Amino acid sequence: MAPKSTPRPLPGRHQLSREFIAQHQRARIINALALEVSEKGYRNVTVADIVKRAGIARNTFYENFGSKEDCFLAAQQFAMSAALDRVVEAAGEIDDWSYRVKAGLAAFLRFVAEEPALARTCMVDALAAAPTSARYYEESLQAFISLFRLGRDVSPHGQELPETLEEALIGGVFWILYQRLLDAEADGIEELLPELVEFALTPYLGAEGARAVATAG
Amino acid sequence: MSKPVHPSVDSPEYPPELARLPPGRHGLPREFVSRNQRERLIAGLAEAVAENGYANTTIAHITRHAAVSRRTFYEHFASKDECFVAAYDTVMAELRRRVDEAFNEEEEWPQAVRAGIAAMLEFLTAEPHLARLSMVEALVAGPVVVERYDAAIQGLVPYFEAGRKGRPAEVLAGLSSSTEEALVGGMVSLISRRVFAERTAELESLLPDLVEFALTPYLGSAEAAKVARQG
Repeated sequence: MAPKSTPRPLPGRHQLSREFIAQHQRARIINALALEVSEKGYRNVTVADIVKRAGIARNTFYENFGSKEDCFLAAQQFAMSAALDRVVEAAGEIDDWSYRVKAGLAAFLRFVAEEPALARTCMVDALAAAPTSARYYEESLQAFISLFRLGRDVSPHGQELPETLEEALIGGVFWILYQRLLDAEADGIEELLPELVEFALTPYLGAEGARAVATAG
Repeated sequence: MSKPVHPSVDSPEYPPELARLPPGRHGLPREFVSRNQRERLIAGLAEAVAENGYANTTIAHITRHAAVSRRTFYEHFASKDECFVAAYDTVMAELRRRVDEAFNEEEEWPQAVRAGIAAMLEFLTAEPHLARLSMVEALVAGPVVVERYDAAIQGLVPYFEAGRKGRPAEVLAGLSSSTEEALVGGMVSLISRRVFAERTAELESLLPDLVEFALTPYLGSAEAAKVARQG
């Protein structure tokens, strides 16, 4: 469904039904929007740009989406759930919290590196596109906040950590990624893993403990 | 852009509206309440944006709040975006001035960080409209402002980099080239989420959390918490 990968049929939809074709079209439009937005900024993209990039008829666009904003919100939600799926898949099974965070971050960085346009949609443009998209963005942070928060149970001073720590840590990680995406430096994003892991784990484990996890394996 | 005109208080061009400053505007620098049209337009934009949000603000809103004519607007600014950029720059310059002043008053770096953060929170709490303008509306005001927004945040990095000086080797080994960027990004995110949710009044209570967060990589949790809880 993403620019470089083939669309995966959803479970229970194995024939190339009309519905599947419709899904496929929707995905094409979403990708076209993400690419256009990452090149021009949300405000400067028109439905005509999206239609042209997706190679579809204007009617088809309006059969799928009510407006540019509607299409953006769909793209954002698609990107958010794709990213979260990858994080859960990579990290869900790992028992040790610090390595779970590392695996989750690694999966997230890989998503950002492979799908920079979609990642930009949910991390950069979402803040500015529309009030609803900004709200979704806030909600998407919550999933990460919950994952980080479990670190309080393994930290020797978990009880004393500031209430807002996780929010600030996620905000910091996102900011770094946001800067790289703005500068179109998606290629080097996976190399950030050790320093981001160290940054995120230090408040819980101390500098040494954090570094040990960051540099392991 | 044409030269700004500076009508005197006695001139017929000087509108009585300026005597009627909205609440919360009193902590503002002279630039904001100043008597020239450009500055009135900037203040007018800040009011109009507070009332309508940036996207729904029109030039008519701005000129009404500024009590100047539409023609006057176009003598100073080519567009709403350009006027916003001027407003944004004015707010950020004032914020930076206050942070600098507070930061430079302290001799020790951890206390200086604390004072700088406190000054920032104080300004944003006292001026909720300007907080919204600079932290929320800025993001929808177009690519030029977004670029400035990013630059303003990256501009905070040196205050933290100063904390590396004199730190023991094992602490420095734990800092990466992006540590400071992540710190300012995290802090700004914490602040702007409150502003976004219209919970600006809570900002000052964030001071200990922000200080501890900012100092932990340099001083360790225990020491950072100690500075954070100093009153």
